[in-house]
Amino acid sequence: MMQSSPLNFRRAVIWLGRLLVGGIFVYAGYAKLVYPNHNLWPWFMLKFSVSANLSTFAFQVESYKVVGAQGASLVAHTLPFVEIVVGLLLLIGWRFRIWATLASAILFGFLCLVTRAYLLHMDINCGCFGTPEPLTIMTVLRDSALALLAVLMTVFAHQEARKPHPWAAPAANS
Amino acid sequence: MNRRSLVVNFAVLFATLTCATVLALASGASQAGSVTDVDPHKAYGTKSAPITMEVFSDFQCPACKQLFKTTNQPLIDNYVNSGKVYLIHRDFPLPMHAYSRIAARYARAAAQLGKGEQAEKVLFDNQEKWEQSGDVDGTMASVFSAAEMAKIRVVAKGNSLDAPIDKDVALGKGYNVNQTPTTVIHFKGQTYPVVGVVTYDVLHQFLDQLLSQR
Repeated sequence: MMQSSPLNFRRAVIWLGRLLVGGIFVYAGYAKLVYPNHNLWPWFMLKFSVSANLSTFAFQVESYKVVGAQGASLVAHTLPFVEIVVGLLLLIGWRFRIWATLASAILFGFLCLVTRAYLLHMDINCGCFGTPEPLTIMTVLRDSALALLAVLMTVFAHQEARKPHPWAAPAANS
Repeated sequence: MNRRSLVVNFAVLFATLTCATVLALASGASQAGSVTDVDPHKAYGTKSAPITMEVFSDFQCPACKQLFKTTNQPLIDNYVNSGKVYLIHRDFPLPMHAYSRIAARYARAAAQLGKGEQAEKVLFDNQEKWEQSGDVDGTMASVFSAAEMAKIRVVAKGNSLDAPIDKDVALGKGYNVNQTPTTVIHFKGQTYPVVGVVTYDVLHQFLDQLLSQR
């Protein structure tokens, strides 16, 4: 009879990270596409709404004053889709360590930008979830917690990968 | 649970969430009556244009500045002046911006002298300066003559402009405007609210799409 997988602390963090980080990534990417304009019908209205939302997001990216207008437009038109894909891959769990590492890098990058903007007293919107959200210390703390969870999840996933799977058959005695 | 089941479960979950969201959020344009309470000093173009655009903005809002600088002029050049769009500026000073109502008063006062566009330009161009110092008067004085400023000050510092600004705000709240800039596009009895900064490239494609349905 198979033994059930032992629920240790590392595995619990990995599961929590998959659900939370993956879910938040999917939501963040989706929100950037459909908020604040969520007119989804007819088709030309959907196209316009998504384009308008992405141009608003590009403006929010530019307000961080790290990239210029073209760089902000590139980021705005790619990041939401990257977030959705990475989030889904984390939730599904396929090639988990790769996407966990990427998610951690993305979150760490966000944290650096948000912290920099906060320390420079920039009166800007976070741009995290589509709708206007002033950048405050709570934003920094929230992103820190998420980045920490993502890093722990990634580190533990690599550690667990080096151990034999709990369900693996014991090595046969020679 | 094996991996295949996990994939299937998540696919079903994602599909369900997507359908639920589409059903919940699918909200095409709403029906609306004709546009009322238009201050002729703050409107550009011809009233008989097929598209009417009401732009709710706040002079102290950085996104409104972006919209003004990147979208407004090409819109006026290509659509307003050719009679395709009737553009109406609505003041929507946000409570968190200390000087935006003052700026709105000065801009309206200048508009009554026929200098509305000039006032808007100088206020948006120098937004970072006067939002720190509160010196809206000094900003306006940098482009208007002493005689013009004297007339502007009398009107701006009086009470006559509060009512039209409050009317614009009430109108915006009727459209559920809660952030600036918000552009409300009227076409064939339909209303399309658009929140945020819309680039001219995106806007003109949409306007062309609407006009092709005439």
